[in-house]
Amino acid sequence: MSDKKANAAVSRRKFIAAAGGTAALGASAAAAPRAARAAGTAHKPHYGMLIDLRRCIGCHACSVSCKAEFDVPLGATRSWVEYIEKGDYPDVSRQFLPRLCNHCSKPQCVDVCPTGATWKREEDGIVVVDADICIGCKYCILACPYDARFTNPITGTADKCDFCQHRVSQGLVPSCVNACIGEARIFGDLNDPQSEISKLIARNPVTVLRQEMGTEPNVFYIDADHTDPNGATNNGQYVRVDTHRQHAERR
Amino acid sequence: MQQELMWGLPVVLYLFLAGVGAGALTVSASIFLRGGDVARGLHVDTARYGAFLAPVPIMIGCGLLVFELGSFETGHWFKWLNLYKVINLSPMSIGTWLLSVTVVVSVVYAYTFLRDAPGLPNEMRYPLRRKLSWLAVPLGIATAVYTGILLGAMPSRPFWNSPIVALLFLVSALSTGIAGTLLIRALFHASNPDPETGKNFSRSGYLLTAADVLLIGFELMIIFLFIMYAHLTIGSVKEAVSVILFGGDLAPLFWLGVVVIGLLIPALVESIYIVPKLLYHRDFSVPRGVEVVVPAVILVGGFMLRYVVVVAGQITGPVGI
Repeated sequence: MSDKKANAAVSRRKFIAAAGGTAALGASAAAAPRAARAAGTAHKPHYGMLIDLRRCIGCHACSVSCKAEFDVPLGATRSWVEYIEKGDYPDVSRQFLPRLCNHCSKPQCVDVCPTGATWKREEDGIVVVDADICIGCKYCILACPYDARFTNPITGTADKCDFCQHRVSQGLVPSCVNACIGEARIFGDLNDPQSEISKLIARNPVTVLRQEMGTEPNVFYIDADHTDPNGATNNGQYVRVDTHRQHAERR
Repeated sequence: MQQELMWGLPVVLYLFLAGVGAGALTVSASIFLRGGDVARGLHVDTARYGAFLAPVPIMIGCGLLVFELGSFETGHWFKWLNLYKVINLSPMSIGTWLLSVTVVVSVVYAYTFLRDAPGLPNEMRYPLRRKLSWLAVPLGIATAVYTGILLGAMPSRPFWNSPIVALLFLVSALSTGIAGTLLIRALFHASNPDPETGKNFSRSGYLLTAADVLLIGFELMIIFLFIMYAHLTIGSVKEAVSVILFGGDLAPLFWLGVVVIGLLIPALVESIYIVPKLLYHRDFSVPRGVEVVVPAVILVGGFMLRYVVVVAGQITGPVGI
């Protein structure tokens, strides 16, 4: 860990030294990796997302902006918000759980792909699908423990969230992060200990979804309610999950 | 539980048909090697029926798989050829290559059983047949096991994610392969063969029927172990297996269709014909009606086993979030 910090410190110093020549660099979520690139060091970002549910109001702005960004076909969702209702009056609550691809460090979907159409990018850790290679066998859809994938009805190939790689590569944040009115979504480089996301993960209790699957997700949650109608946390009380997807139940 | 199935009837049929073909191939090659002499071995006539049957269901099954592909459904007719551009450790990738080799071997193997096969004189045909049967036994077993590994590779599907599913599919494939061979034989064999052929016919029939009873016994034991271990654990696997236990959505189909109709009844009927020869060395003979109906029922049971397993794996998932 201290090595990592030292490296980061060195790269920042180099960056400051080189800053005169790269003054065009603006402030952005991807500033730290850019700094490393400008300084010529081998810093590889590993992108992740943190969703702070204390700030989420369940407005679906993320889902809508994702739909708009990718023109996701009707009935399919790359990004969605689940509502969890539980309890009996007057002791009731409603929690929100925004969902997307977890860009796992051990992605099961990649392990089962027979054509090599999906892989975890070495340069930034984003799990991507190449629709030109994918044959639509649906193996990855079944292998994903998060139901993050679906068959795109237009291309007939597997489709899912790709962390808006076209935006991220331009130094922008993903569309859902941009649209979040409560700033509940924080996107950034998990490899950089000075990034906002790394600091927040270090300072807060965070959880991931279905960690027992061993997939090592890179989407973290603060204050998430892991209640599931079939799970161990429902305490025998009334629980209803509304996925806001075509299939009403989690799977 | 209302859910759209990712893998539907084509995949169920494929798993079943590939199992029948792989089983028939293994069984045919095994009894051929067991029968001795290449030209007029003891079981060569029955092995011929198995050899002619084997490639047909495998090829039909593979064809059905293509129809299930999302790319095919959206009009990219030949995109599935991408499967042949790589080989990786995905069970489906290994399975693709394995199936391709198995199809080729089974077709050539069947060709060596053609009397007066064009372009293949007997002095080449018999050695080739023997070599190919040594290849056909492991290939058939591998194909049958692969159909189970395909499902078992995913921790996200607790019903499938067990090493015993592949074993269950292997034993079921051998059993349905025997049933397929016996059915084809019953449908096409001559009514009044000469005494020598008739004697061999009866001995092969006894060997296969007895083996089938044994395999069905194994299958019941595997099903028992599968359910018992799943039920004794806690969490996702226990929840998943509850769909085939009493009160579950698939329980009637599983217990009545797979266990009673597909396994218990055929095993009992087959036993009735085996026991006199086994214990009292009486002649083994089966009426033609029984010869046709029992294998047909075993095949239906094999199909229902694949159906229950494929559907159960998809309507269940990890518990909790």
